Amino acid sequence: MSEGGKRVDSLSIEGWSPEFGSPVETDRDEVPAAQVDAGAELPPAEWRPLGAAGAMKPARVYFVDGVRRIEARVWMSHGGEPSLGICASYGAGVVRCGRRAEIVAARVRRAFFGRAGVPDLVTRAGTFTACPVADDDIRQLVNGLQERMGQLEIEVAETALPSASRSSRDGALMVVDGPLRGRQRIAGATGYVKSHRVQYLSGEPRATVARLAPGQRTPVFLIQTTWTRYSWYLRLTRAEGHPWAGIVRCEAWHDTGLGEVKRLADATAAVLPRFASEPHKDDRAPQNLYPIGGLERELRRRLGDTGMVYRALRRAAGDYRPRHGSPTGPGTAAVPP
Amino acid sequence: MSEHPTSPPVGRVIGTDPATPLEFWVAVSEDRFLQLDDVVVVERSLPGRSEPIRIYGMVADLRVRHEGARFDSDVFLIEDGVLPAQVTEAAKVLATRFEPEVFVPPVPGEVVRKAVGKARDEALFFDGMERRIPAGLSRDGEVIHANLEFMDGTRGAHVNISGVSGVATKTSYAVFLLHSLFTSGELGAGAHNTKALIFNVKGEDLLFLDRPNRHLDGEQMARYTSLGLPASPFASVELWAPPRRGDPSAAPRTGSRADGVTSFFWTLAEFCQDELLPFLFADAGDERQQYTIVVHNVTARLRREANPLDDGGVRLGGVTCRTFEQLIDVISDRLEDDADRGDWAGRSIGTGTINAFVRRLYASRRDAEHLVRGDVPNPGKHRIGMQAQVAVVDIAKLSRRAQRFVVGVVLCRTFRDKEETGAREPLLFVVLDELNKYAPREGHSPIKEILLDMAERGRSLGVILIGAQQTASEVERRVIANSSLRVAGRLDSAEAGRPEYAFLPTAHRQRATILKPGTMILSQPELPVPLVLEFPFPAWATRPDEVGTAPGDSEDTGDPFEGLVE
Repeated sequence: MSEGGKRVDSLSIEGWSPEFGSPVETDRDEVPAAQVDAGAELPPAEWRPLGAAGAMKPARVYFVDGVRRIEARVWMSHGGEPSLGICASYGAGVVRCGRRAEIVAARVRRAFFGRAGVPDLVTRAGTFTACPVADDDIRQLVNGLQERMGQLEIEVAETALPSASRSSRDGALMVVDGPLRGRQRIAGATGYVKSHRVQYLSGEPRATVARLAPGQRTPVFLIQTTWTRYSWYLRLTRAEGHPWAGIVRCEAWHDTGLGEVKRLADATAAVLPRFASEPHKDDRAPQNLYPIGGLERELRRRLGDTGMVYRALRRAAGDYRPRHGSPTGPGTAAVPP
Repeated sequence: MSEHPTSPPVGRVIGTDPATPLEFWVAVSEDRFLQLDDVVVVERSLPGRSEPIRIYGMVADLRVRHEGARFDSDVFLIEDGVLPAQVTEAAKVLATRFEPEVFVPPVPGEVVRKAVGKARDEALFFDGMERRIPAGLSRDGEVIHANLEFMDGTRGAHVNISGVSGVATKTSYAVFLLHSLFTSGELGAGAHNTKALIFNVKGEDLLFLDRPNRHLDGEQMARYTSLGLPASPFASVELWAPPRRGDPSAAPRTGSRADGVTSFFWTLAEFCQDELLPFLFADAGDERQQYTIVVHNVTARLRREANPLDDGGVRLGGVTCRTFEQLIDVISDRLEDDADRGDWAGRSIGTGTINAFVRRLYASRRDAEHLVRGDVPNPGKHRIGMQAQVAVVDIAKLSRRAQRFVVGVVLCRTFRDKEETGAREPLLFVVLDELNKYAPREGHSPIKEILLDMAERGRSLGVILIGAQQTASEVERRVIANSSLRVAGRLDSAEAGRPEYAFLPTAHRQRATILKPGTMILSQPELPVPLVLEFPFPAWATRPDEVGTAPGDSEDTGDPFEGLVE
């Protein structure tokens, strides 16, 4: 519900594809490293592939992931002054892989991002909750969406496995798809980064990555940008192609403590290769892990049919009346005749 | 109609496959299950109606699959605990009834329940059957009824049973239906006079109908109890067997059943008076042959000129005939005699045609000489009289020609007798297997004519045909088309695809190829969907080693070495 701000008089759904002009940003930005300390576990000169032979194998692995979809771009008129908003659906869920892989938590939300004064929008596909952002720049709107999705991921992670019981010693490993940034609050979690757009290492440490065998990892190193975390590389499978094929990077929040991070690193090297996908089943193989792929499909399914949502939005926008102007406020605007 | 017992929901109508008024899919809840043939009900509210309409249906197919899997090999990932997926189960329901009759499909999301008690009766139209007999049990042990009005001629008549020999248990089911007819009490006062004529065409299965089956165990007895029928053999049975060949006293030719069997034959006098000669030439297609003119002329001559003697013989043109051979000698003499030929064979009949007839007449001698004779004293007691409720005529050991002769003559006579009385009651049920032999689709024969007559007029005359055959596609269409009740046992898969089985929906056709003995599919005129049913193990013996003293007594005489030593 819009609190204060300028009242929105009317809404109109833009006919253009909702993704048009939105920043092409698939993974959360990897910020170039300001500082990398390669000697956190071993001095850079002594870097070598580390096996996970003696590592503790967690009995259960939790994978956390979120999906989002911009349903429509909406033009709002505040007393004749137009501003842009987006209606988006996002979802987050958790897969627990023990003896079986099960989706133990999954939630879907719909939100309406726009400048202060953005109203709730009730549609037949559910209510798009008002989420004010500072500016109606598309980048800012998408960042707002990203932030909400991160929050939802934290929420479902907490539902699936309360943080109190989250440590490598309890036989449970929690893997979050993508870098940890914005999701540091998922305590004890490991970030799982599939792409390598930033080079964090150079020299001998960088050469070590290419020498990793499946199931081996590099020593842990420290990355400091706007926030600080531990990181390590590991190889999932012997993939065809360039020397970094089949390599992923993991991160852990620096609060976790180096000893625990080393245990986490060993655990990931020991269990993650099992979940690596094959090229004929996933075009992001092997890095896109099976449980995450399955979870994403399920979450996208739960977002609903995009055509149906779009139709509901158009109808709701057409029926929209300002809250104080007529008895049909946003709460009833979408009820069909 | 208001107190419908409600059972807990089993699932909901799905929206991913379109629902039509005739069939729809139901997703089954995780903690419940549905099996084939379960009867379900779903309600739908319609605008402008205060009461929702009830849509009844029957489960015709089921499917389970992994939701979330895209490749067949995903099953290994799912079982390894790598890929999340959910098992979902859905049932295909064929609609049977709409109450009230508004033919609309159910709406996705509607709750589906199992129809029990009164609702089940309504779903399967049992509530409207004023007179009904138990026809078997469903998979979940509930009684399946057959509408008697479609059996006894009130609204329809005749039963047709198809199925592969050996596993389809066609005859067993026909006999079970008779048992149900006679003992369910639905025939009322007429039950006592209702008769059945059964032809035993194979083995000796039907020669022990009056003996209890000692292999009938408690479980099977309980099934009779659930059907509301006594687990007892037939009370009143007479057995007829052909006479032993070459035996002057015409003792019955029996196998393992020796007592209580009477031999049957026809006297030469009957042969001539009742015009039985054409039945010796009952081969389909013979009608097209020239010599049939001779057959008809000779038949007419025999009726006019043969003088019956008291002991069954005839006196023909000064010759006394006591055996079939003597009779055909006289006939061939007449045909070869230049003076008589015109009268006996007909005008302008070539000698070739006459010779063809005589050749066939002599060829039939071996098949017919023990069945048509005048050399046995007191021939009246060898006449199939049907004093008992059930008459079993054993033709299993006869040659094909003799079988046709017996079936043709017996059917012709019973039908004529019934015609003469002019009353529908008491009913006569005729059980005949291998209909394809007697009423084949192609060609003509006297027997086929009788069976057609029976199929078309039997309903009003009270003669009900319970026919059976391996392949309905080889039987005269009109005989099957006139059957109100159609039953299929195990079918050959090529046969199941033929149009004669169009009364079975696709799922039932597929099932018909895997039915086990004792399971049949019953189609009734009122029900849009055929019902799969099981009928109990016979309470009467079907083999000599099954004959017991009383049902269930076998435990008492429990000799562990029984049957090991002769």
